[in-house]
Parts: sequence; structure tokens; C-alpha cells
Amino acid sequence: MSVGLRRGTGLPEPVDVGDVIAAIRDAEVSLGGARVLQRVSLEIRAGEVLALVGPNGAGKSTLLSVLTADVMAGAGDVELYGRPVASWSPVAAAMRRAVLLQQVTVSFPFTVAEVVAMGRAPWTNTARERDDGEAIAEAMRLADVERFATRRFHTLSGGERARTALARVLAQRTQLILLDEPTAALDVRHQELVLGLARERAAAGDAVVLVLHDLNSAAGFADRVAVLSGGRLVADGPPSSVFTADLLSDVYQHGIEVLTHPRTATPIVLPVRV
Amino acid sequence: MTTVRDIVPGPETTARGSRGSPEPARASEPRKGRGRSAALFAVLGAALVIATVVAAGRGQLTIVPAEVVGSIAHRVDTGLEWLLARAGLAVDIPLDIGRLPAHPQGENTLWLVRFPRVVLAIIVGAALAVAGALMQGVFGNPLAEPAIVGVSPGAAVGASLVFVTGASFLGEWTVPAAAFGTALFATLLVYALSRSGGRTEVVTLILTGVAVTAVAFAIVSFATFIASPDAREQIVFWQLGSLNGARWTAVSAAFPLIAAGLITAIGVTGPLDLLALGDRSARHLGVNVERLRIVVIVTVALLVGAGVAFAGVIGFVGLVVPHLIRMIVGPGHRVLVPASALGGAVLLVTADLVARTAIAYADLPIGMLTALVGGPFFFWLLRRTRTRAGGWA
Repeated sequence: MSVGLRRGTGLPEPVDVGDVIAAIRDAEVSLGGARVLQRVSLEIRAGEVLALVGPNGAGKSTLLSVLTADVMAGAGDVELYGRPVASWSPVAAAMRRAVLLQQVTVSFPFTVAEVVAMGRAPWTNTARERDDGEAIAEAMRLADVERFATRRFHTLSGGERARTALARVLAQRTQLILLDEPTAALDVRHQELVLGLARERAAAGDAVVLVLHDLNSAAGFADRVAVLSGGRLVADGPPSSVFTADLLSDVYQHGIEVLTHPRTATPIVLPVRV
Repeated sequence: MTTVRDIVPGPETTARGSRGSPEPARASEPRKGRGRSAALFAVLGAALVIATVVAAGRGQLTIVPAEVVGSIAHRVDTGLEWLLARAGLAVDIPLDIGRLPAHPQGENTLWLVRFPRVVLAIIVGAALAVAGALMQGVFGNPLAEPAIVGVSPGAAVGASLVFVTGASFLGEWTVPAAAFGTALFATLLVYALSRSGGRTEVVTLILTGVAVTAVAFAIVSFATFIASPDAREQIVFWQLGSLNGARWTAVSAAFPLIAAGLITAIGVTGPLDLLALGDRSARHLGVNVERLRIVVIVTVALLVGAGVAFAGVIGFVGLVVPHLIRMIVGPGHRVLVPASALGGAVLLVTADLVARTAIAYADLPIGMLTALVGGPFFFWLLRRTRTRAGGWA
């Protein structure tokens, strides 16, 4: 009897930088009669940070759920490492992608160190199990949670919880990392820290998908931006070409100006204020 | 059975991994936690030995602890020598040194009345406490008890029907088999009814459990109503919970069931930890959540079915024990599950001792005692959980 941590699936082969690690083709999703995703196609490549942006209810989180097989696309294909995402066993999938959800809860008073250590679960009884200690220590350092490692998760502030959850995801050490609003609860320093981490992971060959609300963060840290609106993918490309005043004003139904940063030349996105 | 060991890297790994990096807080903490667990196991083990010796000695015929220990030593001695003799070795093991009970009926009282009762209390206590810990883990809710999701009431249906009909198709196993069957049916019913879209909502599940509990108790009431006076008395006392009249036959019937349940429980402790992150995150970490739930539910039905069949309905053990253990060593199931087994055993041996000695010549219902303590505890827990985060969401 196994309750999920089945063996014999083999360790994942690394995907080369620039190659597709996950792909969605013509995905359709309906939830409760509403069409949440309509013919969305998106390729995620190793070595890049991809930001998913769009208004509330545009389908960003649903898109992540489709990638994690939490939600099955009614039509279209979803692939992870070249195979249909649903064909992977839970543990095989967990060796290939890590997920940070928007809502992070822990139902018993586990400590921060214990929660981070849970990220190593997929590697139990594999050759990579010996990296556990190092992976946990590194993840805790990167997410800046060492100071409160021994505190119980439920006693932490929102931002500390979010970073603990992020550390758990980093400790999992998968090549595909899906983060749903990782910066929502964080102060400026930690926002920059987390987004910088995403960049570093991408530079090291990982694929990082971020759901972001802050368009300037997306402009500053993402290689590619996918703009969702009403369940459709309306733009997909580098921030400098995607972030135009017309497109963003149309998508967000609010006047938006786009300037260019004088030093870095990245787009600066500002809502029009009278 | 695939063993699911060390899902969450233990303190050893953490300590080893942090060797190169300067982390004083983390390097010392896991060691502290491990020491705490070891101390807890030592204390619980000692408490169980003491409770067993004291409980076996107390009653209408008092046997002092030295005589209890002496009597056990003599039996062990005889048993070992018999085993060695069968292996062709005539060795005299010097264990038959202790004092035997002075009273002429002492040996019989110990071995025919007291020990079966104490051993049954140990295994039933372990079963109920572990069933509670499993339930709480799988629902991520410290208030979840087998009774709440309909397992205990379900078990009561099967057992009471056997009492009424006088069925004995499986001998000593008839009552536990019927109790397990109806407990499992009730739990699977709750599970099926509260599932939607391949997932189980905790609140829905517990509320469905409440409805099933109501129906189950209606059936038990009906069984009580139509029963003959003898069977009726049996059902009533059994509903109050009692270890009165425990025999070795009951112990030997209950033991394999409960042992199987406990072994399975220890096998799923890693995934249960991950379930604390919620269904989705647990799945993202490689847990087959639906299968884990089914394994746990069947195990709980087995443990509770066996417990209810041989000792009646004894509530709150599965609530109080895991909670206290969690307060001492934290929520990790690798320690929680075995420690709950020990703690439940200690609690039930002690409660049974009180039940049969508090009032001379009276054998109080043990379920009454546990409810007397457990009810207020449940209320306190309810208030406390509501005011604290990480509660019953």
C-alpha cells in the first residue's frame, strides 16, 4: 500500500535552457458555468521568468491550477516535461514542479523549520535525499526566515508566513517553480528579495512562473509577460513590447501611462491620476 | 506495503545539513526536540508499567506490586524455560526469584481477571487514541474525533445488532466484525456524501457525520428497545463503556486487529504531516491525498470497531490524548502517533482502575468517566481553538 510517495518513477532529467518545460495548448476551463479560460496557449521555457498579469478574475490562478493538474482543462492539452500533466504520479510531478499557493495555511502548530523541511518530501528514498539538510538551510537563508526558524507557523505575521511558504517551495528544488502572488504580503525589501530570487533561479536554468499584480515588478524582473484578460491570453512577450499604454488601459479598463526608466530603460507603469 | 518512512526529514538531517552554515538557533533546536520526544516516550513507558502493576494489584483482593511483579517474573521464567526446553536446552533462568501472591486466590485473580482486563485496556486505549490522532490529521482539525465523523456510532450499530440477534457466526470475532463492518459503512457513506468533484470539504464531511451519527444512534435505540431484558442490559452497559468481564479470548481477538491498525497508522505518519498544508499543497508535494484519506478511514474504522466491540463506547480518549501529546512535542505525526498509543494505554488503564475501585464493590462505566473529564476538555479546546489561528478551518 502506498499513499502517494511511490518510488521507481526515476529522477527528472534537467531541461536545457530555452527548451519547453511545460506547455498549455488551447486550454479551455469552465468553472460553475463560467468560462474561466478560453483557448489559452502558453509555453514555459527553462531559464526564464514568466510573469502572469491581468485584472482580478482574469484566470491567472486558474492557469496555474491547470499547470498543476488541480484543475483539468475541459479541452486542450497541458504538458509537463513533455508528457500530459495528469499522467505523472503525484510524487513524480512533485519532483518536477513546486507550487506556492496564494492562501497558505498550516492546520497544526508546526514550526517554520518543520514546514520548510516538508518541501523535501518528494525526494524521500531517492539519491537526492542526502541534499535535504543543505537544501533546507539554503532555502531558509534565501527566504530570510532563519531568525524565526523555531517559531510556530501560526504565530507568524502574514509576510513571515508567505516567506516560510516560499522557503518550503525553494527547498523542493524543482526546475519548474510556480508562485501565485509571492509578493502580495511582503514589504518592499522582501518583495525585491523574492523577485531577485526568481531571477537567480532562472539564471541557474530553472523556469519560474509568477502571478503578479504589480506591473512594475513584472516589468523589472520578468523576461516575458503573459497578459490575461477575461480568460483569454491577450499578449505574450517581453515587458518592453507588451506593456503599452493602449493595451494595459484596455485590459484594466483604467487609463494607464507607460514611461521608460531613464537609467534601466524598463517600462514604468502608472495609472492615470487626475 | 511500501513503507513511507521519513517523509519529513528528521532532526538528524537538519542538524547534519546545517553544519556548514552558522545557524545556532536551528542547530540546537532539533536536538532539543528529539530529547523531548525521547523523554516523553520514557515517561509514558514508565507510567504504563507503573499503571499496569498498580492496576493489576488493586481490587477487592489487594495484591502488592512486589507480588504482581514476582508473579509476572515467574510466568516469564516458566515460559522461557519451556521455549528453551523445546529447543533442546535445559537451562534454568534465574527469574523465578520474586515473591508470589500470598493469598491463595492471588495467582488466579491476577491471571484470569486482572491481567486480561488491564491488557485489554492497554490495547483499546492505544487504538482509540491513535484513531483520534489519525482522524485529526486527515481532517486537519484538532477537534475531529471518530465519534464526530460517525465511526463510533457506526460501530455501535453493528455491535448492538449482534447483541440483539445473538448471532455468533464468527465466534469471538462476531461483534468486532459487525462493528468494523458498520463503522466502515458509516464512514464510507459520510465520505461519499461529503465528496464533490473528487475532493472532500472538511465542514461538509463533519456535518454529514453528525447526520449519520443521529441515524446510527436511532438504530442502536431501536435495537435496545426490541432487545430481550438480558440483551438490553448488555447493550446499555456496553454503550456506557466498560472493560468488565474482559477475558483472554477478547484480548486475543482484539489484538491482531488493533496491531494491524497501529502498524498502518505508523506507516502513514509522513504524508499526514504534509496534509497539514492543505489538500492541494500536500498533493503538490507528492501525496496521493484521496488514497491517503481512504487508508486512514479504513484504519480508523478498524481501530474503533475493535475498541467499541470489546470495550463499548468510550469517548474522548481520541481527543484528549493526541492533544496533550501535541502540546508537549508538537504536531509531527512520527512522534504523535506512537506517543498517542502509549498515552491512550496509560489513560485507559488508569481510568479503568478508577472505574472499578472508586466505589467499593461497584464497577462504574468507564465511558462515563472519560466523558466526565473529556467533555469539559472538549469545551475548553473549542474555545481555545476558536480564538487561535491555525484552528479548524
